Amino acid sequence: MSTLAVAKKDFQDALRSKALWGLSALFVLLSLLIAYVFAGFTAEIGIEAQTAKGLAYFLASQITLFVSITAIVIAYKAIAGERESGSIKILLSLPHTRRDVLLGKVFGRSATLAVPTLIGLLAGAALGAALMGEVAPVALGALLLMSLIFVLTYISIIVGLSALTGSTSRASMLTISFFFVFELLWGGVLIGISWISRELPFLSDDPAWIDILAQIPPSAAYTTGLTALIPGDIGPADETTADAFYQTPWIGIVILVLWLVVPLAIGYWRFSKVDL
Amino acid sequence: MVAIETSGLGKEYGGGVLALDGVDLRVEEGEIFGFLGPNGAGKSTTINILLDFVRPTEGSATVLGMDAQQQSQEIRRRTGVLPEGYQVYSRLTGRQHVEFVIDSKNVDADPSALLERVGILEAADRKAGGYSKGMKQRLTLAMALVGEPELLILDEPSTGLDPAGAREIREIVREERDRGATVFFSSHILEQVEAVCDRVGILRAGELVAVDSIDGLREAAGDGATLRVELADVTDDAIAVVEGVDGVTDVRRQDGGLVVSVGNGSKTRVLSALEDAGHEVMDFRTEETSLEEIFMNYTEGDR
Repeated sequence: MSTLAVAKKDFQDALRSKALWGLSALFVLLSLLIAYVFAGFTAEIGIEAQTAKGLAYFLASQITLFVSITAIVIAYKAIAGERESGSIKILLSLPHTRRDVLLGKVFGRSATLAVPTLIGLLAGAALGAALMGEVAPVALGALLLMSLIFVLTYISIIVGLSALTGSTSRASMLTISFFFVFELLWGGVLIGISWISRELPFLSDDPAWIDILAQIPPSAAYTTGLTALIPGDIGPADETTADAFYQTPWIGIVILVLWLVVPLAIGYWRFSKVDL
Repeated sequence: MVAIETSGLGKEYGGGVLALDGVDLRVEEGEIFGFLGPNGAGKSTTINILLDFVRPTEGSATVLGMDAQQQSQEIRRRTGVLPEGYQVYSRLTGRQHVEFVIDSKNVDADPSALLERVGILEAADRKAGGYSKGMKQRLTLAMALVGEPELLILDEPSTGLDPAGAREIREIVREERDRGATVFFSSHILEQVEAVCDRVGILRAGELVAVDSIDGLREAAGDGATLRVELADVTDDAIAVVEGVDGVTDVRRQDGGLVVSVGNGSKTRVLSALEDAGHEVMDFRTEETSLEEIFMNYTEGDR
């Protein structure tokens, strides 16, 4: 009840952000463009099968960038900003616990980000369906579901980071650093790790864990998880030949769930103890 | 019953800053209690502990009979708060703010009636970001009044208000007390407290130095009065002369004159001492000791 009241207020508040609507308009336009180009391209080279399903993957590829950047823009101040301005005193003068506040923020801002995400994906899928004369309901359903989980996860990460500090400049530093390390530079980080591992004999004969490390960024986990939900031939590993769970695409969903829970738990642990 | 009770309450912030030191405070149910002190004395720290914004490093606090740390949520359900150093949500309207409190406390209340009571009904559907400081203060007061709380905690409620606005707030505070609420009201503005409070507590550098009714404080300050003397020329010598008179407890320079705190019967001696020393007295008048002077005595004197 309390969490819901906070979430509702937060949704009303964040929905009025101009930056959100700027980014969202861009996202919807990009989705439409992708659907248009994809439909034209598949018609050109004469691919008949799997076209609507293929479009789902193409749309997914740009969701990750939109969701990660927009999540940072609308949520990095979620807790830090309220502490810096003092509006948290209004929130916590009311009968909300700090946990209610944190969860309310996650749900409120996730709902906020879910609106343009769903609009963009549905617009892209609808245009694609109109141009290609084909709909892939399972793939589209999987795409929408995974995207909502991804939105919730990313917002949860950013709110968790925001709860670590009472200064918006530190919160922006934390969230932008997160984005750089886990989204932009992760390939480089992996190369570094695998190079070091060759020097460490106790790791060197098992390259499988490098594959798992490659799935760690939330965006990679999302894309991998999506292949677990969409039946078909695009998945990286055939489940009958995979010799371990972590080699199936379900690892993506497991990693996403960890991202959903762990940063927020750390943020809560810190926020619950701090003097406001 | 006791509305607020603290025992040995202390708070040391990181870096060894002692904001509160052994505060024993008792606020009775149904009274208007003024919590006085200069800025930085620890008023807000005390209130922040009562609301569990800040955790004490020593002692304990109970509000409405409940532990301020363990049962904070229930305390806040039954308390209306106007916090200090808050900020409104600039993208939400005044009405949405009040509705949020109604949702949060899960009570029935009429946002329009509350906004009208604090005098900002005509701005109810505008975004609060465009409100003046005084309007934000009125909005926050309306939020504190939602659901007829048993206890109102108002931290510096007249900040940003003009005298008429401050009077309206005092009016509302009295109405709330008459309804049966306890009002705990902090201020560094003395007339505010003098006009409305049943009892006051004075906080100084983290310590509670006095708790009494206004009349009780006056009595405790002695039966003395204040003598205001206008001189042709205020010099250090004149101050030294006055300080030398028996019964004078304090001398201050103010607007080209002297304000002298004296015991009974010393007033004429002050005047004659000044004239004997060759200072020309243009005018003088005596005043009953104001709360202001009592306050100064408590917060600035060498105690």
